[in-house]
Amino acid sequence: MSNFKDMNDNPVDYAALSAGQTVSRQVCLLDDATISAYVAAVDDGSPLAGSEFVTPMAVAALSVRGVVNDLRIPGGTLHLGQEIEFTDAVRVGETITCAAELSQNSLRGASRILVVGLSVTTGNGRTVMTGKSTIAVPA
Amino acid sequence: MAAGDALASVDHLITQEAVSAYAEASGDFNPIHIDAEFAAGSHFGRRIAHGMMIAATVSELMAGEFGLDWARSGKLKLRFRAPVFPGDQIQTRGTIKKIDELQEGGRRITCTVVTVRNPSDPGEGDSEEVAITAQTSVVVA
Repeated sequence: MSNFKDMNDNPVDYAALSAGQTVSRQVCLLDDATISAYVAAVDDGSPLAGSEFVTPMAVAALSVRGVVNDLRIPGGTLHLGQEIEFTDAVRVGETITCAAELSQNSLRGASRILVVGLSVTTGNGRTVMTGKSTIAVPA
Repeated sequence: MAAGDALASVDHLITQEAVSAYAEASGDFNPIHIDAEFAAGSHFGRRIAHGMMIAATVSELMAGEFGLDWARSGKLKLRFRAPVFPGDQIQTRGTIKKIDELQEGGRRITCTVVTVRNPSDPGEGDSEEVAITAQTSVVVA
């Protein structure tokens, strides 16, 4: 698991990132402990929480985690917007692969705006989520 | 179910303990969320909750209303408008904007959803602040 001390020791040159570049790829096992910890943290009271299915926002959170960790997002970064499309339910116990590709990199004032496309597939190649994160990294 | 109908709202008290638990569960250890000293030097002046933690309440609302259909066909587009701070009470509420019959069968229900911090009851003044605005949709049978 990354921490911000490590990240700051190995900064990413965000200006050098280009659209089309894969910026993250992580594999996550959605075991009961992982999902239960997520559900407890967000205090999810929906009927999907605690069911055999993964509460879908956990999938989105883990896909964003890949971006945060692999891009070594620095403190002070702002999450401006998020788009998500869930395309299939995921069962607890499944393994997912979260991939992220940079789609936009631009400078706006004192911030660098990164738009990152997200794609999540299961072990059998089923796409269960796509999305797009827009973040502002201090320039 | 018809356009204009309200969805059941979701209320939460956001605590620093929950924010720290979210950092552990999500792997997002940005110090703006967990390091009081770092956050004090930020332009927010104090720690803030993760945007995706607050966005989870939008999904909770939709899953509460539409169950597994939300996990199978839910779409969400949101903007983070203002930070949520530990100690804030938040409320996420939604309204059905339109219902479209689909040629392939079923209906697509489009909703407008908003998350506010420090929600106020009607007649109590306007102390609340919009933290998230979102448009969601889901396909149901």
